[in-house]
Formats: sequence, structure tokens, C-alpha cells
Amino acid sequence: MRAAGLALLTAAALARAPSPSPAGPWRAVLDLAGGTLPFRMEVQRAGAGWRGALCNGTLCQPLSGVRVAGDSVIFEIADYAATIAAAMRGDSLAGFYRNVGNRGPRTIPFRASRGRWPSTPGAARLMGRWDATFFQELGTSPRVIELRNGRAGLEGTLISNSGDYGHFAGAVKGDSFSLSHFDGSFVYLITGVQRGDTLRGLFHAGLRTQTPFEAVRSTGAPHLKAPTEVTGADTTTPFRFSARDLDGRLVTERDPRFEGKVVLLDVFGTWCPTCHDAAPVLAALYRRYHARGLEMVGLAYEVTGDTAIDAKQVRRYRDKFQLPFPLLLAGINDVEAAGATLPQLHGFTSFPTSVFLGRDGKVRLVHAGFYGPATGPQHERLIREFEGEIEKLLTEREARSR
Amino acid sequence: MPARRLLAQDDQIARERSDYIAWLETAPNSPFAAVAQQPIGRDLRLGPADADVPLEGVVEHRLTANGGRIALEGPDGTRPVPRALPLRLGRYTLVVDGPASGPVLTVFRNGGASARNHRVEYYPVDRSMVFTGRLLETEAPRKVRILGADGIEVEAIEAGSVSLPLGERPVRLQVRRLPMGGDESELEIFFRDSTNGSETYPAGRFVALVPTPDGRYRLDFNLARNPFCAYSTAYPCPAPWEGNKVPMPIRAGERYRP
Repeated sequence: MRAAGLALLTAAALARAPSPSPAGPWRAVLDLAGGTLPFRMEVQRAGAGWRGALCNGTLCQPLSGVRVAGDSVIFEIADYAATIAAAMRGDSLAGFYRNVGNRGPRTIPFRASRGRWPSTPGAARLMGRWDATFFQELGTSPRVIELRNGRAGLEGTLISNSGDYGHFAGAVKGDSFSLSHFDGSFVYLITGVQRGDTLRGLFHAGLRTQTPFEAVRSTGAPHLKAPTEVTGADTTTPFRFSARDLDGRLVTERDPRFEGKVVLLDVFGTWCPTCHDAAPVLAALYRRYHARGLEMVGLAYEVTGDTAIDAKQVRRYRDKFQLPFPLLLAGINDVEAAGATLPQLHGFTSFPTSVFLGRDGKVRLVHAGFYGPATGPQHERLIREFEGEIEKLLTEREARSR
Repeated sequence: MPARRLLAQDDQIARERSDYIAWLETAPNSPFAAVAQQPIGRDLRLGPADADVPLEGVVEHRLTANGGRIALEGPDGTRPVPRALPLRLGRYTLVVDGPASGPVLTVFRNGGASARNHRVEYYPVDRSMVFTGRLLETEAPRKVRILGADGIEVEAIEAGSVSLPLGERPVRLQVRRLPMGGDESELEIFFRDSTNGSETYPAGRFVALVPTPDGRYRLDFNLARNPFCAYSTAYPCPAPWEGNKVPMPIRAGERYRP
């Protein structure tokens, strides 16, 4: 009897297939050569399978898939043709983040354990705007580091002449701080130490690239090149563009919908996180000013160059942000290649770039990059500047025609 | 550097090697499967036997470069070609990479990597061939145009040099920063040593300088790799870097048997 009972127990235990559940929050890190980049993963049951998200502080984005097979878990990040594959042992995961490279695999060690990172707010003296200088072999280049305390502790962003690097989640320990951003493709980590009114540290990009920096508290004087001074334009003749919309129709600047209108041309890509920050702002501006004579058009520079694939991506982007203006497939996401399709712009460097055209079709202002919500007050100021420029251009002709 | 020797982490070396071998054996853009590489210039004719790039079973196509924009023209029309992402054409895969001012086409035979007709061989791990130390910076770094391991010309930056306690006198090797796209780059050394031609690849080998958390660098010759011209004659070989010759055998890292 006893023997039979034991056998039954064993069978039941086997039948339950002790594949551990990945559900719940995970404190995850990527082990970069110069330090660990912390982020969070959230996994939930979804029908018979799983779904998950990748989070930096309070900001999460969904993973395209989560697969569990035996003790291995695969997190898929389809947008960037990347995966995180890990083995689960009890309450920990260990494995690798990978995406395709051309000189070998781009691989970064990954670890996680169950739970959330503790929220660590920074001291008041660390908060605010810092003018940073990055030291590279061929010289220095300016950046701005913005730091504040949010719901999940220290957070902030990094801004260059061509826009911001997105939302960074931070941690503080004594005088040391770190800020990280991992979205499945871009791997950024800032580590530093505060000594009075100076920050010194390293900016880590990917597994092995490290750039030393030093930052001083901003005096309020501009440290970066103004976004309107980065890219120049031919302002003497109407601005020309020509590309097909998502239904294959050719759209040019001569389309009747633009005639006599103020036009905001958005040079963007669905792969560009800053463009995702700009999209809702543009949609709101369109709704606010369209009746008074504002038109918009988006020129998409996409990853594959394959019309069918790119159109699908851009359609998804249009629907996600409910963009009410036409989006055109203009080319591939290479700064030089994109610049070549818009020969009237000089020194095209950034996605997104906003080109403001007056009612005569000529360029009035080119704004390189975009300050996303992660930049706080800069974001607010940028919206006011865009509104101001649109108001000014709308009244230009109204005044002239009177 | 001057560097001190450091005990190698054997399991990490084994892991990096197996990861690299897996990529070589499975990636659609593995150098094992490469059949041709050519700068595009204004355009390239692909397909027929007398084309710039003859491809079996492929009818005539033309690859054009216009202001950095690459397109593939064929009997079914014209399609844009993405940069650095694989594009299938018959039994081949095309990858266009390199700077927009000088794009380069590499052609791979589909399934060519999985044939495993290549063997990657390494010397046994030599714990004495791992160094850690400082990078000696160059006073006035310049940009230099060089070929990367994948035969594609890039604009590299002279990053400095390392001094290694090899043999009786320290050996100084130049280090260059090679762009990897975006904010990422890699510090690399292309070096020659006295095993080249007999035990290792004649043109020399690449080894990376890996930053450590204390602001120094690790150089592990156990991870030295052949340039891709060792796996396929489709690739041009990088020219040796002036002065980067170690006057003794470095019996660590990748080997070569012709």
C-alpha cells in the first residue's frame, strides 16, 4: 500500500511539470564592460502564454513576445530584431541580450532576480540641469544632463545638439549616481560622482564604449547649439519634396492640400524613440491650428527600405498616435541618405527634424531634434516655441492679405 | 599599460568563443557564406557571367547608389535596399554596409554558413596572454581610413597605444577606435606576430581592448580573431598597421590552417 501511494505521488509530481513561472517583476541588469545597467522586466500570464514589458523606472514598453520552454525564457524585441534568452534557476535568470551585428554577434550578458529595484531619490543638490562636456579622442562635445526625483526615485535625461536620449531611470548611493536607458536596442548608462558643483563620470554606450564626462551646474546660459541653428536651408525657393503615401500615391509640395497653407514637415522614423515623443505633440498642434491654415506632412525614413514592410510599420505608428496628416515613405534611416533626398536642407543631422514652411512654401525655420517629456521644462518650452512659430506664420499672410 | 598579466577567466573566454562560432555557423551574413564583396560606386551589374558580380541562377539586376540611397533594379521593378540588413535575391543574401559616401555590397550564399565547411581553431587558453593596464593616449589623434575585420573601409580614430611586457623589451601596439554605428565603437588592435603564415593567418589578427570598471583596459590575446579574409576570398585583407608587429610568437587566440 505504502509503495503504491508513493508511486502515485511521484507520478502526480511529474505530471505537474515543474516549469517555473516567470510571472512577476524582475530586477534585471545588463553587464556592460564598465558597469551594470539596471532595468526592470514585468511578466504576466496572457491566455495560455505570457506577455511582458521592459521598464526604465516608471516608463515601460511591451515586449513583442515571451516564450517559456523548460527552464529557459526568451524575451523577444521584434522591432530591433533582438532577443534576451535566459535560463531560469529558482528566483534568478541568467543569459544574454543579442541582436545581429555585422562583424560578429552583438551580445551583452544579462541577469535578473525576482523583485523590484528599491526607489532611491537623489539629494536636492544633485537635482537640476548640468552642462556636461564629453571627452572624445578628437575633441570635446557638449551634452546636458537633466536630473530630478520622480515617483521611482532619481530620473532624468541626456540631451545633445540633436535631441534627447529618452527617459533615464536612476539610482543613488552616497555621492555616486547612475542613470540607465535600455529600450531593447539602445544601451545607455551614465555613472558618476558628485563633488560639490561638479559631476564626473562615464557615459557607456553598448557593451564596450565609454566616454568620460565632466559637468558643472548650468548657469542658465545656453550650453548646446540651439536646435534651430543645427540645420540650414535654402529659403529662396519653395521647399520641394516628393514621396509616396501609404497607399502608393505620389505626394509632392504641389499637392493642392498644401496650397497657401503653413506647413510643418516632420522628418521622422518609426524606429526613432524621440520621434515617438514628438508624434503626440504634432497631432495636438495639428488639431489646434488646422482650421486656421496649418497643414502637416510626415516624411518617414525607415529601416528596411522594403515598401511593404515599412508601410506596415508606419501605419502602426500612425494608428498608435492617431496622426491625422499624411505620412510618406521617403527613404531609409541614414542621415546622409535622408539628407540627399532633401537637398534644400544643409547639415541634416537629426531624427526628428521639423521644417516650418510659410504660406509661400518657403522654409522659415528648421528645428533639429525634439525635447521629449523626459526633459521636463525644455519639453514645455519647445511646445511653446512651436506654437509661437505656427501662430507667427499663420498671421504672416493673414496680415498681408488684409 | 604598461600592463601586468592577469589571470584569464577561462569560462568567459570559452563563452565568447562559442558565441562567435555560433554566429559564424548560423548568421545569414556570416563570412563563412560570403561569395563576393565589392564597393558599389555608382552602380554594379549583378547576375550574368559577364556581370560585375556574377551570381548563379540570378537574372540581370543592377544595384545603384544615388546620394547614399541604394536601389536594386530587376525585371520585377526597382526596390530600395536597406543598409546593414540582409536582403534575399534568389539563392543569395545581399548586405550593403559601409559609409553612405562609399557603400559596399557583400553577397552571401544562403545556407552557406551552416555547411560547416570551415573550422575555427584556437590555441588552448593561455592565462599569461591576458593583460590589463592603461591606454597611452596619442597627443594629436587623427582620423584614418582603414579596413575593418569585415573588409569594409571605415573612418577610424587613432586612440593611442598599449605597452605590453612581452619578451625582453616592452612591445608597443597602436590602438584605433572603429565606429560601430550610433554612439558605439570598439577599440581594436590589428597586429602581426611571428606565428603569422605558419600557425596563424598571414595578414595578422584583430584583438579588442575592453574597458574595465576602474578606467583601465583588458587585452586578451585568447580572443584574437582572424579578419574575415581568412574565411572567404570575397573579402579584402586589411593592410598591416604600421609598427604593430610583435617580434615573438603569440600562441593564443585563433589559429589558421590553409
